[in-house]
Amino acid sequence: MSQKSRSTLRPLIALSTVSLLALTSCGNGGGDGEGGTITIGVTGPQSGGGALYGENVEAGIRLAIDELNEQGVTIDGEEYTVEMRALDDEYQPNAAATNAQRLVEQDDASVVFIPHAGGIHAAQEINTSRSDFLIGAYSSDRRIIERDNELTFMISPPFVSYSEPFIRIFQEEQGAERLGLLATASEYGQQWTTMITQDWEDAGGEVLSNNNFDYGAVSDFASSVARTLSDDPDVILVGGPSQTTALVIEEARDQGYEGGFMIMDQAKFEELELFTDPENLNNSAGVKPVAEFDDPGTDSLVERFAEDITEERPITAETSLNFQAVALVVKAMEIAGTHEDPAAIREAMPEAAAEVDDVFRVSGFPDEVTDEGLLISDSLEGAYRDSEGNYEYFPMDIE
Amino acid sequence: MTLFVQQFFNGLSLGGVYCLAAIGLTLVFGVLRIPNLAHGALYMVGAYLTYFFLTSAGVPYILAIALAALVLAGIGIGMERVVFHPLRNAPHTHHMIAAAGAMFFLHSLIQAIWGADFRRMESPITGRVEILGTQVSWQRVTIVITAVVVLIALTWFIKRTVHGQSIEAVEQDRVGASLVGINPNRVSMLTFGLAAALVAVAAGLVAPINLLYPTMGDVIMVKVFAIIILGGLGSIPGAIVGGFTLGMAEVMATTYVSAVAGEVIAFVVLILVLAIRPTGLLTKAVQR
Amino acid sequence: MKLTFSIRGVGALLVAAALLFAPLILAEQNYLLRVLITGITYAIAVYGLNIILGFTGQLSLAHGGFFGIGVYTMGLLTTDYDWSFWGALLAAIVLTTVVGFLAGLLALRTREAYFAVFTMALGLIIYMIISRWEDVTHAYSGVLGVKLPENIGPLDFSEPATYYYLLLVFLAAAAYVTYTLRVSNVGRRLLAIRTSEDLASSIGINVGLNKQLAFTASAGFAGLGGALFASAEGFIGPNSSSIDLTFELLMFLLVGGVATVMGPIVGTLLVLALFEAFQDFQAYRFILLGPVIIALVIYAPQGLIGRLNELTLRWKRRRAAAPKTPAGPPDSDSPADPNDEKAEVR
Repeated sequence: MSQKSRSTLRPLIALSTVSLLALTSCGNGGGDGEGGTITIGVTGPQSGGGALYGENVEAGIRLAIDELNEQGVTIDGEEYTVEMRALDDEYQPNAAATNAQRLVEQDDASVVFIPHAGGIHAAQEINTSRSDFLIGAYSSDRRIIERDNELTFMISPPFVSYSEPFIRIFQEEQGAERLGLLATASEYGQQWTTMITQDWEDAGGEVLSNNNFDYGAVSDFASSVARTLSDDPDVILVGGPSQTTALVIEEARDQGYEGGFMIMDQAKFEELELFTDPENLNNSAGVKPVAEFDDPGTDSLVERFAEDITEERPITAETSLNFQAVALVVKAMEIAGTHEDPAAIREAMPEAAAEVDDVFRVSGFPDEVTDEGLLISDSLEGAYRDSEGNYEYFPMDIE
Repeated sequence: MTLFVQQFFNGLSLGGVYCLAAIGLTLVFGVLRIPNLAHGALYMVGAYLTYFFLTSAGVPYILAIALAALVLAGIGIGMERVVFHPLRNAPHTHHMIAAAGAMFFLHSLIQAIWGADFRRMESPITGRVEILGTQVSWQRVTIVITAVVVLIALTWFIKRTVHGQSIEAVEQDRVGASLVGINPNRVSMLTFGLAAALVAVAAGLVAPINLLYPTMGDVIMVKVFAIIILGGLGSIPGAIVGGFTLGMAEVMATTYVSAVAGEVIAFVVLILVLAIRPTGLLTKAVQR
Repeated sequence: MKLTFSIRGVGALLVAAALLFAPLILAEQNYLLRVLITGITYAIAVYGLNIILGFTGQLSLAHGGFFGIGVYTMGLLTTDYDWSFWGALLAAIVLTTVVGFLAGLLALRTREAYFAVFTMALGLIIYMIISRWEDVTHAYSGVLGVKLPENIGPLDFSEPATYYYLLLVFLAAAAYVTYTLRVSNVGRRLLAIRTSEDLASSIGINVGLNKQLAFTASAGFAGLGGALFASAEGFIGPNSSSIDLTFELLMFLLVGGVATVMGPIVGTLLVLALFEAFQDFQAYRFILLGPVIIALVIYAPQGLIGRLNELTLRWKRRRAAAPKTPAGPPDSDSPADPNDEKAEVR
């Protein structure tokens, strides 16, 4: 009997211990009463398929914070330490919004960085009404600033900026006519495809069959590649995570394709080069590698990424753009004289853009912050890798 | 025509991989009557183990796959002991949740060890061979040959050895098997070990034409479930036929219809099978 | 009997009181209120799952999908088609019920593990449709600006606390339906089916019809939960219909206690609290959480409420055994009690 009741109690004890633990650790998130800390909130994928992406974004924010703390942050005469608090949302919109609210209320963050469009949209439902915080939106989906949400700033250049130069390079300069579609079938991939289809046809080209497939959910893509090639394209739109993109490009080259590639901005040349023979990438256009910028802070960030984060992969725009954005927003806090009022911080951002220290200017630092919340850099460039394997850079207009 | 031949080989190699992965799942279902949701996670671990033996330990490719299969068999048996054995008398609901728990755990563990990075495993088998006028990569030829060899060995094991026959006996008649003195414990462990080894081989074979990342198993998981439903839960011949059928159907649908068709064909097949004959195409009419 | 009832009653009352006063206690904690709101919408769906799993013993893995149908009916109707919240809510319930009925016709031809795998495929198909049918669902782009309920007199539902109380009404309804099921003849029939289908049909229960009804109702609740979820979130995406969600719902139910009245809500909130707490372990929280889930299933398969009910039942029996008075009328509670030993042996 006694044995029986013990076995009855064990799970109960286990359960209550766990829930107790849950409650206590809920508590420690609360901001420590002492002034002098600014919390930058981040909610992104730390587990699941998007984990690497989340890590890269966090790395940029962490490196910026380390640098800021070394230099010292002074707001309204008082010195502050900046810290990052990052939560996992597994790429889910509602989890991102919940996390954002938690970061704001329990950790006193007034800025939350969210690196995916779904999470940004969900957070925009609450950031000006039920809660009050500024969203650092890292996504190239332009809809996030078209909702008139006055507490959002868009860190990544909208992907529409790539359309015009891509079409110029392939259609006007090379005379390409037939465009194959072989990009990822995510939300982002579909939007890219719609945009480029429209623009390509407007410019007089022909768009072939759509063979987009989900880069994260297909076990063998050789047949999609074969179908695209059977249409005999002059140039192919590819893009998704760099690593899969590299394999798609390689497969196409292996199957004898010799034309060009337009590489969507999610994939980065510096990563593609690691995953496939760089020669396969000849005659393609895409995002300019971070390390190729000549901005004042480029070299030091590249070095620090290798030292503090990892040497196993190169730094990409996911890291550098968020690095810049943190510096910008903290400078805006200094100018606004507050780290708690999101509206005042947002308002100070255009002015802050000019005053950020050189060390934070890495890969096309924003020169201007529009009323919509778009960060505009005059020095942003795209990259074209020619048929010899040399990179040429072309200017891009952010719009 | 050359396109067709090439795609035919792509379909064969994909089918071979599906087959190997599906047989393990269907074996476990046949013997223990549980759909092991952690099977995809085992596949992923198998790929990482092959990667480890090949790149970090420098073992030759085929040997690396064999070693990974061995280690994963151990992990499979451990999983049976720790997770499923204590639940042997519980309703099947509990198995599914426990398996999901194991899956989350394995995802996290692999991410903790190897990171969330994508990894590429370079196969030493390179180059292409000309078959019927088209270029087929040696890697794909290797996949097809290995799959066939493993399938033959498996059939031999199940039909001709005592251990194998005990698995088949339990599959066909649990009560009868225990009456003739077959130890269900040993059969359970054996089945899990075998299932894990097979899925490791599948993962090791496909790794060079794909990427390694902690959630890579999720993709194959859905397909493999579709296959065993198609072939009949618990049926090994069903898994083999189903595996090749789906692999071929996916490739051909993608080539001749559209990429979306290739992705949804597994589900179309599922709906049809479920609507017409929910116990699968190759099972005997009554199966409980 | 009376005593047991009152112990359970007190427990239920405590939970109800905690839920009622939560917005007052959490005055400034919008985040926790938000977690509660999400939790309650999930819990309503879990009550649905409880009907099919708890009362007939059939494991449905399509409930994430049904939830998703509710989410998207509310989301699309109130935005693209400009319906009112209430109209869309009704439509969501009707649609999921109809889909549930049709799915039931197919799925219920199988049972046990086959049924589980069949419904899992069904759930996956629903997810595929939602995440791929771009022209209608906007696929991965999601749906922006899902409506909150229109104000009723002084009730302003854009105030989270007001919306919360609206949810509580639906939650109470779900719990009440479960309670009535437990004590009604329908519930007994369903439990008989769970114990043995052959036995049930031999005593004249129409097994097929009862299971069909249970599955249909069960889908309807999942759709209701989904619709309320969509409205609470404002923005929805395809992963609100994914298979992962199905497993979360199932986990909530198992932790709380299958076939109990309070299990779904207690389990849901407890597990969500765990998830939130384990956020501190970041990416590696499942290294801890995975084994915790496994341990819960192995060591507490009846769930928290199931275990508590068992304890009170045992205590009551001991008390009943102590006095010399004859046992009296046979315990009318126990045949309907899903947590008696029979359930474990099964």
